[in-house]
Amino acid sequence: MTDNPAKNATNPHLRCAAAEGCAESRLLMSRRAMLGVTAGLFSWAYMPRFAEAASTDPRLLVVVLRGGTDGINMVVPLGDPHYVSMRGSIAIPAASTIPLNSFFGLHPAMPKFGAMFQAKDAAVVHATCVPMRNRSHFDAQDNLESGLPGKLSANSTGWLNRLLTALPAGAPVKTHGAIEINDAPLILRGPAPVLGWSSTWFEAYENPGLRLVRSLYRARDQEMYDMLERGLEANRLAGGYNDGDISMLRKGFRGAGRLIGSPNGPRIAVLAVDGWDTHSDQGGTTGFMADVMAELDTAIDDFKTAVGAAWKDTVMVAATEFGRTVRTNGDDGTDHGVGTVALLAGGAVNGGKVFGDWPGLAPNQLYEDSDLWPTTDLRSVFKGVLRDHLGVARNLLNGPIFPDSAGATPFRNLIKSSAPAGASSAVASAPVPLRAEPAIARYRREQRA
Amino acid sequence: MALSLQAAREALIAFQRFGLGAKPGGPAQIGGGAKAAVRAEVETANIAAINDPTLPSYPKACSESQKGHAEDLRQQELAARVDKHIAAQIGFVERLVIFWANHFSMSVNKDDAIRGTMGQWERDVVRANVLGRFGRMLQGTIAHPAMIAYLDNQDSIGPNSPIGLEWGVGLNENLAREILELHTLGSDGGYTEADVTALAKIITGWSFVRSWEADGGYNGGTNQNRGRFIYRGNWHEPGPVTLMGKSYPALGQQQAELVFQDLAVHPATAEHIAFKLVRHFITDEPTPAMVNPLKQKFLQTKGNLMAVSLALLDLPEAWSAPLTKLRTPYEMTIAQYRALGARYENDNIWAFSEPLNALHQMAWEAPTPEGHADETPKWLNPDAMRLRLDIAEFHNRVCVGYYQGNVVQLADRLFNAALSKQTRDRLTGLEYPNDELVILFTSPEFQRR
Repeated sequence: MTDNPAKNATNPHLRCAAAEGCAESRLLMSRRAMLGVTAGLFSWAYMPRFAEAASTDPRLLVVVLRGGTDGINMVVPLGDPHYVSMRGSIAIPAASTIPLNSFFGLHPAMPKFGAMFQAKDAAVVHATCVPMRNRSHFDAQDNLESGLPGKLSANSTGWLNRLLTALPAGAPVKTHGAIEINDAPLILRGPAPVLGWSSTWFEAYENPGLRLVRSLYRARDQEMYDMLERGLEANRLAGGYNDGDISMLRKGFRGAGRLIGSPNGPRIAVLAVDGWDTHSDQGGTTGFMADVMAELDTAIDDFKTAVGAAWKDTVMVAATEFGRTVRTNGDDGTDHGVGTVALLAGGAVNGGKVFGDWPGLAPNQLYEDSDLWPTTDLRSVFKGVLRDHLGVARNLLNGPIFPDSAGATPFRNLIKSSAPAGASSAVASAPVPLRAEPAIARYRREQRA
Repeated sequence: MALSLQAAREALIAFQRFGLGAKPGGPAQIGGGAKAAVRAEVETANIAAINDPTLPSYPKACSESQKGHAEDLRQQELAARVDKHIAAQIGFVERLVIFWANHFSMSVNKDDAIRGTMGQWERDVVRANVLGRFGRMLQGTIAHPAMIAYLDNQDSIGPNSPIGLEWGVGLNENLAREILELHTLGSDGGYTEADVTALAKIITGWSFVRSWEADGGYNGGTNQNRGRFIYRGNWHEPGPVTLMGKSYPALGQQQAELVFQDLAVHPATAEHIAFKLVRHFITDEPTPAMVNPLKQKFLQTKGNLMAVSLALLDLPEAWSAPLTKLRTPYEMTIAQYRALGARYENDNIWAFSEPLNALHQMAWEAPTPEGHADETPKWLNPDAMRLRLDIAEFHNRVCVGYYQGNVVQLADRLFNAALSKQTRDRLTGLEYPNDELVILFTSPEFQRR
């Protein structure tokens, strides 16, 4: 067992989260006033959208890239005159990138995503950030997943769970629900029931013992029996034990694809991808971050294959808690910095575009003299997908799902066509709590009643 | 020794509900006196202490955490913890330690200041007070660098303090909020947002010495106090502060200590802790009939945790309520180690952490300050029930390789007359004893508590 691939599966990005600067940077932020967005930004967004048939049964995969992804070296602003000087030793040479448009090139470690982009099934939103613009992994990941304007409490609900709660009965997303792959992320936390499925490397316990356990549960414990049967069924849908010797990440993406591609499977899946916290020896065209990107690229392609015919109804949106500093640090890496990319892939994506307003990399264009200036609130990206792909009504988007977000309007044109068939009513079908009611609070409420 | 059915059922409750699972022959050892045996464990002097001189002192854990040894310390402390769990006869006191460590939940993944000191904190603060005063555990926890780092109090500065005025910085309310919401009064416990801010002011200056402060002699840091708690008077918000209607005078560090004394014996705190104990040990749905006797004992004894723990054992429901909860993944792991008399090897900590990560309950790594959940559905769900089978099989191989014993005999020694016929009949006849062990370790007898 010592040769098991999981042996060294520590979480380097989480170890790095403790690196100096993470806590101190919050002090820095509070000392400085937020400045308004300057005029004169390069803009290429808001192109006319393609007219295509509406999706009637949309699928959504949300990928949380944990650690803070360096959007500047993933979707490289080759046309920015300051890119090469700012990035120095880790700058990606223009000639090695995959051309996206006249300004941007994709990192060469992501050829499959590049091919989807060229096939107009993938897009990028550049210079996005969660509303808090905070450089703490914990706080910014919370902010991404809670969908709240700021920190509410330790037990806020997640915006995808609030979506499930708010949608009217009968909507496919509501009926078939959502599934968390491997992680139990905050984004799905809340009162709406959520399925789970894990890709693991443990060997499957099989017959004849399995048959005996199932019969034992049926004879002695109906609840355990029901749960086990459903777990085995989910694993059958996910093809959990048949993927051979590939990484847990790729197994996760394949399982997610098979699950949400199944007629009776969930319609929303959530996955997390670790490893983006590149404080040192980040690498350039090759190296650490290139390896992480290559793995993600392969996994997205695995997902496309696994989701099968439902690809045309699918949107994957991948987002991260923040990006990296524009300048490299002294260790050939980059530190936490707010602005970064969001990736979209799927047959329903209005692909072949890099959306967003490019803020520029000149020293006087940086956020707090350090980071890519976020020109798009990440909630706008999510809201654009929910409105145009799932047909979620504006009142739900601005109210229960993303409270106090009217200023972050839904990003337009991310989806090939709007989805009227999935349109929801403007009134939430159930109360949508912003925080899970703690057990002691419920006990106290019931005692008072 | 064959016990009567009644005696065996009470032993089952002792080991499942209150303990960490029987070791072979365990029920026979406690005979017909299950409750007396659990009580005797509580009343044994120094029962919770780990006597291992190789484990680090407070100063050593604090300084070594900043010298790149945090992960080594975590692994050493974790191994000592698991060995202590395995050594206990019944394990009720160990379960209390786990309960209280989870009450003051932290994650080693946030910072090396936590990673390297959490074990020391658990030994010197939790274990030292687990049958003593709640107030001391509270004080010791809030004054520990691990908790200060976990909830960001090291940089919380009174805006009207000398340094606050000079630097233009302010409060961080994280620790204050969680002290009220999670550690003492509990949600809906009669405090307001203004009280959160008031407590945040009161604990300004409660900090710890970070590496750059020790290196450079900044902010009172020296090489001698590296990593340790420090009270920074010139960061403390001056003046008296009113909290929950009571004014606390400007006494510097002592201002907070007076507050903690009051919070530790507040009726809402007593109720909160009584509720949590009943919920953890007996039922997801505690009633006032179960909560109030513990609450009253807590108030009468000013938070004497031995008295409160014994009051838990004295509840009629403690020995009559059906075992409807499920062992947590962590408890299941330890119970399997105890049944097999073996655990992972020290250089293979992944064999401990990987299954617990897959089941979302790695020790000292709860993702939020609320700690690991006590709701049964959190653990009794489809994915987890499937994984428990695979993981039970994995632990068997980790602990014993290929089992040579007789599984029916082992089951008889673990459960005595409380072993059901349905389970017993299925423990024999398979080609591999390891497969029979999986049936034993996933049986309702072993899983329910």
